[in-house]
Amino acid sequence: MTNPEYIRNFSIIAHIDHGKSTLADRVLQMTHTIADRDMMEQVLDSMDIERERGITIKAQAVRVMYDADDGHTYQLNLIDTPGHVDFTYEVSRSLAACEGVMLVVDAAQGVEAQTVANALMAMNADLEIIPIINKIDLPAADPERVRHEIEEALAVPADEAVLTSGKSGIGVKDALEAVVARVPAPMGDPDAPTKALIFDSYFDAYRGVVALVRVIDGSISKGMKIRMMASKTVTDVEEVGVRRPANVPVDQLGVGEVGYLITGLKDPSLVKVGDTVTLARDGAEEPLPGYREVKPMVYTGLFPIDGDQYPDLRDALDKLQLNDPALLYEPESSHALGFGFRVGFLGLLHMEVVKERLEREFDLDLLATAPSVEYHAYKTNGEMLALHSPQDLPDPGMIEHIEEPYLKATVLVPPEFVGAVMELAEGHRATFKDMQYLSATTVDMHYEIPLSELIMDYFDQLKSRTKGYASLDYEYIGYKTSELVKLDVLLAGKPVDALSFIVHKDKAYARGKMLTEKLRAIIPRQMFEVPIQAAIGGRIIARETVKAKRKDVLAKCYGGDITRKRKLLEKQKKGKKRMKNVGNIEVPQEAFMAILKVDD
Amino acid sequence: MTSRGTALYVHVPFCMSKCAYCDFASRTPREPAELSSYVDAALAETTAWSDRGVLGDVSTLYFGGGTPTLLGDGLVSLLAGIRERCGLRTDAEITVETNPETTTPEIVSALRGAGVTRMSLGVQSFDDDVLQTLGRRHDAATAQNAARLLAGSGMRVALDLICGVPGQSMESWDASLRRAIDTGAGHVSVYPLSVEEGTPLCRSVDAGRVPEPDPDLAADMMLHAAKVLSAAGMVRYETANHARPGQESRHNTAYWTGVPYIGIGPGAHSMLPAGEFERIARAEGWYDHPWNLVPGTSDAARVRFSVAEKIEDYLAAPLRPPLVAGILTAAEVSAEDVMLGLRMAEGVDVALVENAGLTRVLAELQADGLVEPAGERWRTTERGWLLGNEVFGRVLEAG
Repeated sequence: MTNPEYIRNFSIIAHIDHGKSTLADRVLQMTHTIADRDMMEQVLDSMDIERERGITIKAQAVRVMYDADDGHTYQLNLIDTPGHVDFTYEVSRSLAACEGVMLVVDAAQGVEAQTVANALMAMNADLEIIPIINKIDLPAADPERVRHEIEEALAVPADEAVLTSGKSGIGVKDALEAVVARVPAPMGDPDAPTKALIFDSYFDAYRGVVALVRVIDGSISKGMKIRMMASKTVTDVEEVGVRRPANVPVDQLGVGEVGYLITGLKDPSLVKVGDTVTLARDGAEEPLPGYREVKPMVYTGLFPIDGDQYPDLRDALDKLQLNDPALLYEPESSHALGFGFRVGFLGLLHMEVVKERLEREFDLDLLATAPSVEYHAYKTNGEMLALHSPQDLPDPGMIEHIEEPYLKATVLVPPEFVGAVMELAEGHRATFKDMQYLSATTVDMHYEIPLSELIMDYFDQLKSRTKGYASLDYEYIGYKTSELVKLDVLLAGKPVDALSFIVHKDKAYARGKMLTEKLRAIIPRQMFEVPIQAAIGGRIIARETVKAKRKDVLAKCYGGDITRKRKLLEKQKKGKKRMKNVGNIEVPQEAFMAILKVDD
Repeated sequence: MTSRGTALYVHVPFCMSKCAYCDFASRTPREPAELSSYVDAALAETTAWSDRGVLGDVSTLYFGGGTPTLLGDGLVSLLAGIRERCGLRTDAEITVETNPETTTPEIVSALRGAGVTRMSLGVQSFDDDVLQTLGRRHDAATAQNAARLLAGSGMRVALDLICGVPGQSMESWDASLRRAIDTGAGHVSVYPLSVEEGTPLCRSVDAGRVPEPDPDLAADMMLHAAKVLSAAGMVRYETANHARPGQESRHNTAYWTGVPYIGIGPGAHSMLPAGEFERIARAEGWYDHPWNLVPGTSDAARVRFSVAEKIEDYLAAPLRPPLVAGILTAAEVSAEDVMLGLRMAEGVDVALVENAGLTRVLAELQADGLVEPAGERWRTTERGWLLGNEVFGRVLEAG
């Protein structure tokens, strides 16, 4: 155990792409935690998808030993956090394990929406904030402007901001010195009953659930009998250790220390992020504050293209959930698509990442239906139905009213794009709340917007209409009544449940019309004519037709052509496998996402 | 070898220029000497195949390309050399492909004298605008003259036409068909334009300089061609081919009826019964070459293979071991025979379909209006002709 005086626990927080992971890489290198020859980019981002996309999805923690200028060696626990708004809860739990943060701001991009959101979270957690102006070697870097923005927008004194370049390593030592000097040492009572926060967990096929913990009071050692206070799980500690970044077992984790904990439990639902670990007997009375169940925000149907892969999909989801407790799913069956799962996600990025991991790591071909939110339908008898899928909406006659989830959205944008943001908001049923100038170059705009509109292409449109300058953050504020209707899509006269969606009454006609047009372009010509109709409660509001194909023939078929044609026909066959047969109509995957691409 | 003999194809990979839509193995010759070294290489390859015992009974010989007539006198000596090396039947069909600009009176009479029986002329269109879109070197008048010259030569004449070309109207198409008929040709092939990846035409379409071909218009043009040509006595006997009775291409018919064939020249494909191929491969020691697939799996029935597609590679070593392009099992052979048979207007024997285990598939195709029974045969309907890929794909898939 290290004397808490020589421990510093800190996170690096940043808007996405501001260089957080690269900076973390430099810290590992500089402290010789990882030999130069083992260094690869984004060491802490261990998933392939994280490295490829350059994003952090899972929080990570690593202990480094730093010889500071004051002659002492410090134990620094660096807790990397996800940078995307989908994973805000993980960020807040990681912050709860720290006493300070490096707030990384891109020297060219300046303060963005998640910079503000993350800084506010750090302030609310009473953390010491060390502003880091990163990427100062970029040609477009303007540290003075950014320094000013940090002070204006975040009210964080920035005269002592550290200037760094994660890429070249400039200033990284200064940043670590600032951590040692300014981040408070952890305070805790070594003699009090054990209290430790689980701020992340992952699943190891051999060891079961591995929890990442921060000890607040007391200690955790091997063989101890412990209790998780929220899940009420009682178990033995099989192993404790620290991450450097590979797991290194230790005898004990003491006050202020960060490490991992293995109990042998195989069920991730028993070891929840945000939960408090204490002693099984004579434990702490109060858990650490801030725990909440992670609730999915968006839902989508995932169906195997090949129905035979259904059991494989189930196994894959089971396995993935072990590493990702935020992933929820239940079986769903669709007339059009057969058996699949309704899967809940934290947000669209989470959804994309999970789908990609399922396809890549488990070799599945999946079809995803358009994401939907959880609607609350209040029946005339007062009963409330929580709907995860448009298909579950009861007959309109039985419904008293419907509510949908709303968000408070924060958009940071240069003043010249305020008009564009306003216009986009109007098209997405957002209510303007207020706006203020954070600086001469940044306006902070606030809206209330239905989540269903936000997932409807809002972010992409925001980016494109503001030439990429706008940044977005949002938080959930609750349910509100809306005039919603279910829009059904019929192919060749038959309703295709997987294409149904719920939409505001005033937008139903326009969306229905545009969706049928999009589908006409997406659905390839078949052997017969395919009418596409949009309907509300049996009333057709839009119609398009995919004409029957008349000519599809390889006309030349001589000596060498026969092999070529065989290969071509095989390729066509494979192409068809990427499509779903709905009745006898071949529908490409993108048709089910077409509703998201309907621009107003 | 079967009593139907062997079909021999000779690929001449040179053209004066590359047409906009062409993705065939051909290019302009780098130097005149390349043409004569090609003739030497092709003859060396012919000798080799002859020594391997598969050219003892050649029933059809076809010079395709590229532009075989670009070889000039070289083509005459190539044909003479092939005669020396093969057992060419006295009644063999000998076809030479040509294009309007290389069809000179000299070469026509030389080929006639060398025993060529059939000339296949790449007219493509009698409309100058359409010819320009296709990137052809000739104009309509040149095509007309070449066709007349061939018609008077005493050899059979086949013309190629392309429909569904962007910018081509139904009137233009109708006019081309009628002028083709007026030349007296006994055989017309009709190809709907297909935009192949990597061709200049494909780049033009992608860039929006040329509109995408309209498949519906192409369908109308194919139907119109069948009507106009049959009124002139030329019956459609295969997906793309129309002929006066008795003037069908025997060589191409060999491809569609499972006759073994040997392809000479870069990129040319051959097909032999698996046992025959294996015997040769063993004798030649091809099995030792690691880049070659090893046939001889007990259920192999038919093997397709080709030689180097790159002209330089071919000229450097025409006798290199062929690349195996496909090994078909007996079941696949049966399905392929049915597929190819359904390309023919006469269709396939119900017994053949039954033996291939495809009766159920054909019944499904019938339900979709793609094929129909006709006496003791199955044949494609008009709809099945135009939607051939649906028919071919489902038959091959079941095989």
